[in-house]
Amino acid sequence: MAEKPQPSANFSSLPVILLLTLFSLPLVLMYAYLFIDTISETPVGSLIPNEFTLRHWSFLWQTKTGKPNIWLVTLNTFIFASCITAVILTVASMAGYVLSRLNVPARGFFLAGVMVLHAFPSVTLIIAIFIVLQYIGLYNSLIGVILVKAAIDLPLGIWLMKGFYDTVPWEIEMAGIVDGASRFTVWRRLVLPQIKPAVMALGLFSFLTGWSEFILPQVLAPGAQVQVLSVYLASLIIDDNNFDFGTFKAVGVFYVVPVLILYVFFQKHLMNIYGGGTKG
Amino acid sequence: MRTSRTLGLFMIAPASIMIFLFFLMPVVLTAIFAMTNMSTATGISGGAWQVTQAAVNRLKTDLPELADGIAEPRFIIDEEGLKELETLKLKPGFAAELRAEHMGEVYPSRREAERVIKALKDRPSTREVKQISDLFNRSVLNTRFETRDELMANLKKLGFDLTPQQQDIVARATYTGWIWTTDNFRIISSSPDMAQIFFNTAFYVSVTLLLFNVGYALFLALTTHYMQASTASVFRAIWLLPRITPVVIYVLLWKWLTWDSGFISTFMSQFGYPPKNYLLDTAYNAWFFVILINGFIGASMGMLVFSSAIKAIPQTQFHASEVDGASRLQQIRYIILPQLRWPILFVTCYQTLSLLASFNEILLSTRGGPGKATEVWSLAAFHTALNNYTGNLEYGLGAAMALVLVVVGIILSLIYLRIFRYDTLISKPLIED
Repeated sequence: MAEKPQPSANFSSLPVILLLTLFSLPLVLMYAYLFIDTISETPVGSLIPNEFTLRHWSFLWQTKTGKPNIWLVTLNTFIFASCITAVILTVASMAGYVLSRLNVPARGFFLAGVMVLHAFPSVTLIIAIFIVLQYIGLYNSLIGVILVKAAIDLPLGIWLMKGFYDTVPWEIEMAGIVDGASRFTVWRRLVLPQIKPAVMALGLFSFLTGWSEFILPQVLAPGAQVQVLSVYLASLIIDDNNFDFGTFKAVGVFYVVPVLILYVFFQKHLMNIYGGGTKG
Repeated sequence: MRTSRTLGLFMIAPASIMIFLFFLMPVVLTAIFAMTNMSTATGISGGAWQVTQAAVNRLKTDLPELADGIAEPRFIIDEEGLKELETLKLKPGFAAELRAEHMGEVYPSRREAERVIKALKDRPSTREVKQISDLFNRSVLNTRFETRDELMANLKKLGFDLTPQQQDIVARATYTGWIWTTDNFRIISSSPDMAQIFFNTAFYVSVTLLLFNVGYALFLALTTHYMQASTASVFRAIWLLPRITPVVIYVLLWKWLTWDSGFISTFMSQFGYPPKNYLLDTAYNAWFFVILINGFIGASMGMLVFSSAIKAIPQTQFHASEVDGASRLQQIRYIILPQLRWPILFVTCYQTLSLLASFNEILLSTRGGPGKATEVWSLAAFHTALNNYTGNLEYGLGAAMALVLVVVGIILSLIYLRIFRYDTLISKPLIED
């Protein structure tokens, strides 16, 4: 609304900008130092770095004693996030279509269930899930934690997918049916291509939440062979013997950069989902 | 597959199965585990019967005589021991005489058993006496019995004749597996620790919600509303950072800020304040930062929801108020806020639930410290069941605590469902088949 200049004082934006800049300062500082500290040395008691170094990045070519190899951990994280994305997209794109369009018994009940679960604090179930995974032998395996994480994020995915399908005009489907296609073909060939951008947004979102997830892998798959980056970094930080913020931040930057790249490129898509009701 | 009914059931099956396995079953299991005393000590599968020293101590109050008796070694001359003795290749006379003269005798102590063995005609050496007596040691102490009957049979063999009532007491004291109990709920409702945790949680949720998830989010939405679109998007991007940053890194940044060699300490030392850990030095500071850490994440969702709601307000209303000479505060008070009622309610409901369950940030930053100052309910459940210092993980008690959250969660989400009447969201399928 401030596109065209207005005479009224109501539309002067300077005071709010100043105010908000002040409030945003801690965040900006923290993120600026996140990057600065990884490539520099700062003398004790000072805030200004005085030396360039790559020492903090040595974790990339030197495996730390007692810690798994960083590339194995990165691969695990990638597998973890990709599998979650694949499961959520497949399952939610089918279930969302049913809830939006198909005539199945108890559709309303299911929709209500999805809506309740989407707000439901699922972390509270982690104790039961932990014991169940121990019983069935999926404790400390990537498969187990992938299934759990995908299931926990599923209600949101179904909910969003249902919303996306609701925007596709019925006429497309009717035309397909008239031409003799089955409902399945109509969905696969006609409806799904219509919501491609939305599917991509959900996919990105799922990938990012999978990439960032901490508590589920920490509890359900803490072993060295299946460790993901969040658990790896947390275990570095908690280890009192080697306290070195420079290294922590270097690992942190290594971990966060993919997230930031995706975020910068797909900000518009993601904003919709973050605002549309995610947890946290 | 040509009708929407069969296709629909087929397509919704995977989602149903996953939701059944990872939502409904865990809820039911949380309730079931909450009624047990499962812990690391009892294991999660069934247990066995074992007369450990701890079990003997437990028995001392009810059956003191039995407890003393059980703890002592017992020596019985039986067929089993004799067979083993025969295989030892000592003098065959030992076994033959013991079988003939002493079969079935029970000696309450090693001394008595050894006196008998020493008196054998073949005169075993001291070393042999010891060797032989070991074969007849039939103490139940620290022996594992897979069934209750096995334990009782062995006790009977040792000369303990127990009434069924006494048998029950012994069985209960010696069982190593988990049992059904409602103690967990008694602990939750009566322990002062739990009351403290409950107040911590109420404080944490209400303050964070009020100040940040709604209050500060509203502030962000309003201020960015009165900005150029491009400036606004910069600020929105900055304030979305806490949400998109993986939680471990995000908390690491705060740790760096508050650490005793971190930013605040270094900055304050310029003015002569000694460095200290601002995150953990006092309960007051710990709460301050815990709320900031969570609030900064929480603010972004409200910001986006409120921003899009403000954007949906017709521009003409703002122009009209301009003409009428309304100030910016008046615009906010009389135009924006009344139209944000539903988004605010939505965010409040939603964030209450997420705050109740979120313990990631507190776990990573203060771990509930200093002391137990910032321990909230979900974190306490996690600590009890999955991660504590003593090493005995109390799954049962933890599940009971989680069950409280589950029940609160279900109630709140049902209210949420009623507020946002979902029935208006279902449209009837237009293609009938």
